[in-house]
Amino acid sequence: MTAPIWLDLLDETTRVCAAHGRSDLIQWLQQKRAQLIDPRLRVLVIGEPKQGKSQLINALVNAPVCPVGDGTTTTIPTIVHHAEAPSATLVRNPIPAQRKGNASGELAAQPEQAERIPVAMDQLAGLTGKYPQRPGASSMHLEVGVPRGLLANGLIFIDTPGTDGQDPVRDASIFAALARADTVLVVSDATRELSVTELNLILSVTQSHTNVIVVLSKIDMSPDWRAVAERNRKHLAIAGASAPLIPVSSVLRLQAARTNDEAINAESGFPDLIARLVSDQSAKGDRLARTSVAVATRTVVEQLAAPLRAELTGASSSETSGPLSRLQAAQRAVDDLRRRTTKWQNTLNDEIGDLLSDIEYDLRDRTRTILRKVDEVFDTADPLSGWETFQDWLEENLTEAAEANFEWMVQRLDWITHQVASNLASYGADVLPGWSIRVPDDLAERVPLIEKPQIEKFTPTQKVFTALRSSYGGMLMFGMATTLAGMPLINPVSLGAGAIFGGKGIFDESKSLLKRRQAAAKNSAQRHVDDFFLRLSKDSRDTARQVHRMLRDHFAALTEELQAAIVESFKTAKQEADAEAAVREQRQRAIQQTMQKLAILFEEAQEVTAGRGGALRARLESRI
Amino acid sequence: MSPAVRLDESAWELLHQALDLYRDDRHATARLHHHLSRFEQPLRIAVAGSWRSGKSTLVNAIMGEEVAPVEIEDGRQVFTWYEDGPNPEVIAYAPDGTARELAVTRSASGMRVELDGWRSDQIDDIVVKWPTRTLRHATLVDTPAVTSATDDDGTAIADRILRDADAVLYLTRDARGADLEFLRSLQEGSVARAAPTNVIMVLSRADEIGGGRVDALVTAKQLARRQNRDPGAASVCLGVVALGGLVAVAGRVLTEQDFVTLATLATTPRAELEKFLLSADRFVSTQFTTPITPDARRALLERIGLFGVRLTTTLIRTGCDTRAKLAAEMVRRSGLTELREAIGRYFTDRAEVLKARSALVALESILRRQPRPGSVDLLAWVEYLLASTHDFRELRLLAELQDSQLGFDPERTAEALRLAGGNGTALATRLGADDDVDAGELWRLGSEALARWQNQAEDPLASLDQRRAAAVVVRSCEGMLARLSGR
Repeated sequence: MTAPIWLDLLDETTRVCAAHGRSDLIQWLQQKRAQLIDPRLRVLVIGEPKQGKSQLINALVNAPVCPVGDGTTTTIPTIVHHAEAPSATLVRNPIPAQRKGNASGELAAQPEQAERIPVAMDQLAGLTGKYPQRPGASSMHLEVGVPRGLLANGLIFIDTPGTDGQDPVRDASIFAALARADTVLVVSDATRELSVTELNLILSVTQSHTNVIVVLSKIDMSPDWRAVAERNRKHLAIAGASAPLIPVSSVLRLQAARTNDEAINAESGFPDLIARLVSDQSAKGDRLARTSVAVATRTVVEQLAAPLRAELTGASSSETSGPLSRLQAAQRAVDDLRRRTTKWQNTLNDEIGDLLSDIEYDLRDRTRTILRKVDEVFDTADPLSGWETFQDWLEENLTEAAEANFEWMVQRLDWITHQVASNLASYGADVLPGWSIRVPDDLAERVPLIEKPQIEKFTPTQKVFTALRSSYGGMLMFGMATTLAGMPLINPVSLGAGAIFGGKGIFDESKSLLKRRQAAAKNSAQRHVDDFFLRLSKDSRDTARQVHRMLRDHFAALTEELQAAIVESFKTAKQEADAEAAVREQRQRAIQQTMQKLAILFEEAQEVTAGRGGALRARLESRI
Repeated sequence: MSPAVRLDESAWELLHQALDLYRDDRHATARLHHHLSRFEQPLRIAVAGSWRSGKSTLVNAIMGEEVAPVEIEDGRQVFTWYEDGPNPEVIAYAPDGTARELAVTRSASGMRVELDGWRSDQIDDIVVKWPTRTLRHATLVDTPAVTSATDDDGTAIADRILRDADAVLYLTRDARGADLEFLRSLQEGSVARAAPTNVIMVLSRADEIGGGRVDALVTAKQLARRQNRDPGAASVCLGVVALGGLVAVAGRVLTEQDFVTLATLATTPRAELEKFLLSADRFVSTQFTTPITPDARRALLERIGLFGVRLTTTLIRTGCDTRAKLAAEMVRRSGLTELREAIGRYFTDRAEVLKARSALVALESILRRQPRPGSVDLLAWVEYLLASTHDFRELRLLAELQDSQLGFDPERTAEALRLAGGNGTALATRLGADDDVDAGELWRLGSEALARWQNQAEDPLASLDQRRAAAVVVRSCEGMLARLSGR
């Protein structure tokens, strides 16, 4: 006989999990496999407290196996199975070291480690209060065996403590028990409709289990249980939970067992429930197994696909952080550098132009001042007497002016250098040129010596001649006049007059000579300063131009250097981005392929549910 | 401010100071005024609990009338206020405060109001005025079902209860974790935590325990006592009381007709009757040969439940042969007597304290949420009041005395209960004297009690709990003597 198709699917799913390296899922699947191969049907009874869960099991097996009573609440999960003679064992599991899943299972994975304490049947009720379930404490459960035909057919009932909290499925012990259950009975009593928490519980259970039955208990107490049942069915339909609802009365069933009254038994609703469970059990090897394997496969596929899908969607968002962002940064850097280059060039040209005109003006201003002083001096002073002093003074002043002018220019150039460098400052601290402009030392030597102007001196001979020439007229004039008075031409009066006139002539002559000398000196000074200005302004102009050129060269070289570096990084970034894109594309292709494989598996799971499965079989056979 | 002798006077004074402090804040002053006006009104007791926990049944049982629930057409639940009034009338209030009277029809289980053009979500509150003596000292508030303490609906309802009610009757089927969680969510602020003295937990639908056996209520009362000793429950409520709601209501409104029906049923031989009392279905089935028609049986079942039928037929058979006797016995068995005693002892007798308490809770929340210069001083006064108020401690003592867990002998327990105001808070009642004795006699009785309990408080053989309880009684005695010397 060939293995059933669902087993193939389960093994195939396990292989896929192994390929994905999900040992946790494999463990879960193996547990599922062992559970499905086991022909017995594990029926888990869950629900809120005080709904009659324990009583339901008692009524099902017609024996007081689960302690019930007013105010007693089940605290220890109880497993009811078949045994030849009534027996009860308290199993205390060691605190599981790595996995919690085994904790409250039926037969712990390591039975030799579990502590087993036999309990007398009549002490079962006392146990409940004695061992309240505490979180963190070693978990325990009770195993009760009773000789019943129903159980011998392969049914196992598991009673659980009531779910009392916000999220019952998270409740660890219930959750672990749920994982190993084939059929789940959710118990809710007929005195009221399903509450929201109960509906949530049913919904979450139906997601993981195919066989869920809602048991409406205590119908003996409520006169309008039929209305409640109808409304509950409606609630379930609206919530989208595909679970049948079976109304039962444990009281009637137990009463029927006591009095052996078949009519009461039929009224209790239990025959329906038992028939349903028995049919589930007989269908376990086929329909139930198929559906639950399909559900398991679907769960696994979803679990495996989720991270892949997340990776696919996450890929687009990761682009901003990868090499592509570096590429963009490099691009931005190139643009930035280009912008800065234009800027520093403009700055340099503008500033140097300004500097040239400013320097010239400054120099002219300084020389003008000197000339004005010279004029003032030679308005009164005689160049004859103080020429040497004047010469020294002029030289000194001109040197000073030249130095001040140069000093200023150097400062301006320095400032310009910094100004231009500030445009590139963001690229590093060493953008300033290694050299600096200084005021030349030989500036004093560059100032030319003023040559002494041609100066006419008033020699004694000239004086005599001038005196004679002037006195001659006067003497004649007065001599003629006195001759009329009968005096000789040369007489004391005319001699006196001649002397006066001669004196005046000398005085006049020397005065005009002085004027001429002063004018000559002024002229000479003017020429000299002009020469000086011409030479110096040429000098400073040259210096400024030279510096301009040097600065331009320096910054151009710097910019080129920077550009080379940035372009280089741009290139690497681009290469990296390309490589990364290729890798990502490859990865995406791989993910898509894996997803396709998972999709095929999913399809196969669907087919197995529907009872076919030819495709899977064919694929498996072709592999062999 | 000087600490006044009585808590409500101090609270009144604090509220007025707060009014002065927040005079420019419209919301805060409105809230404070609201609480000041509540000092004049009857105590407000909210009936809260999860869905189908028996809230309306409990309201009916206390009122002795079948008026609750007031149903709105689409089944939405609103806060329903039951007040004493000269004539029965139902008034609906919209969220914006507009009110209108609604037409009412009696339905099978209570009343149904005609909305008359209003949408149900336009109604915030329904006030039912009903002429009944039991509402004279307390207004009952039937609240919408509490689903859970964590979701939005539950929080909103909890907030509303916290804001509007002075005391809470919390109904639960089995006092499970979710219930305690909800009650804990009611304890907001240090006032509420320091004095969890406004909640009584009611194990409602006690008649369903054990499948509605005849002794279900006895078991339920035992369960309630066990719950009382549970520290988890004690931290959130004053006490736990079991109540068989349906039986209680039936006992309060039992008609002669009902009695005749039940008596006829009781004439059926016991073995025969028991067979048909196995389940509700059987009881109304046509196979049951009895003069009572199946329809009448169904109506009976809906009113008092299978347990009610079992109980009443047994009672009639064992001697309750008149309507009055049966009704009294039903009320006694249902636990309604204990519940009303508890309400009287913990709530209506202490109405002033509870009103002051809810005023302080509101004041504290205002002071903490809108701090401003001066609010710290007022908070300090609130804390001082909490620390110095004896009433809260008396209430806790009364709760502890209820289930003899202290280990006092019965005589001593009774005396402590009386002195702490368990039988009534009037001076004479506390001292166990008649109303007309003079002050000198009262003084003598008080001094004797004081001396007795001082000894008890210092008795080295007594347990720590006993000495602590005795100290509370001593303080009560001192308070009484202070009041005697003051007048």
